[in-house]
Amino acid sequence: MELGALVMVPGGDDFTGMREAQPHGLAAFENPRAPYCSRMPILGNDVLQSWMERVRKLGVQSLWLASGAGVGAATNALAEFARQGIERLLVIELKSYAELDLADLLRFHCERRNPVTEAHDAWGQLGVRLLDRPALRATGGKRESCCSPAESAQTPYQFSGYAKRILSARERQELVGDGLTGACAMRPLGTQIREQVWIGEGVKIATSARVIGPTYIGARTIVGAGATIGPFASVERDCVVDCGTTVERSTVLPDTYLAPGLLIRNGLVDGRHLEHLGWGAVADLESAGLGSRIPRRGARREQFSSATTDDRSRGDNAVAWNFASSSNASQPWLQVEL
Amino acid sequence: MKDRATNGAAWSILPFPSASSSACRRAQRKDLLNALRVSESPVILDFSECRSLSFEDIDLLLECLAQVAGRDKQMVFVAGSSATRVLLEVTRISSLAPVFNSIEEVLAHPQGAAERDSEDRAEGRTEEHQGASQSQTLWSA
Repeated sequence: MELGALVMVPGGDDFTGMREAQPHGLAAFENPRAPYCSRMPILGNDVLQSWMERVRKLGVQSLWLASGAGVGAATNALAEFARQGIERLLVIELKSYAELDLADLLRFHCERRNPVTEAHDAWGQLGVRLLDRPALRATGGKRESCCSPAESAQTPYQFSGYAKRILSARERQELVGDGLTGACAMRPLGTQIREQVWIGEGVKIATSARVIGPTYIGARTIVGAGATIGPFASVERDCVVDCGTTVERSTVLPDTYLAPGLLIRNGLVDGRHLEHLGWGAVADLESAGLGSRIPRRGARREQFSSATTDDRSRGDNAVAWNFASSSNASQPWLQVEL
Repeated sequence: MKDRATNGAAWSILPFPSASSSACRRAQRKDLLNALRVSESPVILDFSECRSLSFEDIDLLLECLAQVAGRDKQMVFVAGSSATRVLLEVTRISSLAPVFNSIEEVLAHPQGAAERDSEDRAEGRTEEHQGASQSQTLWSA
């Protein structure tokens, strides 16, 4: 039975729109205005990549990706997969990181003979479901959901392993903490320089700066004199933390500049915005002269787009996938070879 | 400048400049610094009308703090919004003067504000964790 896989990335830029601009890579598609896009790196890791790896282990050789506006369109067009001869479709909505054994999910689905099997954990849907051909056909014309209430009511696959939603800043930070302390399988992408402290390639840390574990500092980030990073901090790649600034129990997303003397605590900083995880408030750092997005250099973009598969393991979030030539601009998804 | 009294203590309430035109803002800024200079009573610096803080606002805020520093004068902030409160914490200004959610909260707990202020001064507010716990306790909106 032919198994297909579709990964939907809510909040990201439209992959199909990227095809012309970035024919050999997707790494530069990140949307600087979407602070909680599920493609934002977590401890240097790309959650999409971890799902793709799980799909690859199932023996699936290519998958379809839909993002941004394409997600809604793809959901409404699942019947198209049935027309293309797909007997069974694995749909992953990129809203969680879950250490799910997809082979076990598939086994469960086959044993139950359900047209739809949805993976759940104690907090509800994980955004992973398997649909058989009849269920795919039935999705034609349905707008809100890809399975009917009756199908959804069928016995879900209960997952009791590690899972975290990644669309909320708070849960994202919990995943960072779990990754840093070994409570989940995700490991910081870099070199461990001492207990619970990881750094990526090309990191520069002033001798007077303090790095308190558990902490991760991403590739090419600069930490100024007298700054303090940690505990439970993740400063992703290409950031600058200026002199005397403290980053504690917080995440700083890629390409962020933080001015001198700040106290970032319980926050998620993405360029110009800071969300306080406790109060849920979002403050504009840039208008206050406290932070900003660092413009990407052209050379860096080139480096991303020319990255090879081997480069993925080298402390960068660069990803290069080959798009199948059969990708059709009229489809709301893009085919990616695994 | 408004004056409000509670439990015998009079508070001067000074609105933080929020005018959209730069000329008005300059005038408000001047008024604020003058009012701080002449005021003998404890001061509430009220950010309720400010939607966000610019770098000029932060500059002014530091001037206000410098104005009261070294004088036996109590100053507290009313953040007005959680975004302003975040910026006060990020700039560590909340470690220099207590931050409240509303004027009513200051007036309801004037003794608490005074005690916190004197404790903070005595300790120099070098221990930032205290600032965090205070912020979390006070912010309930």
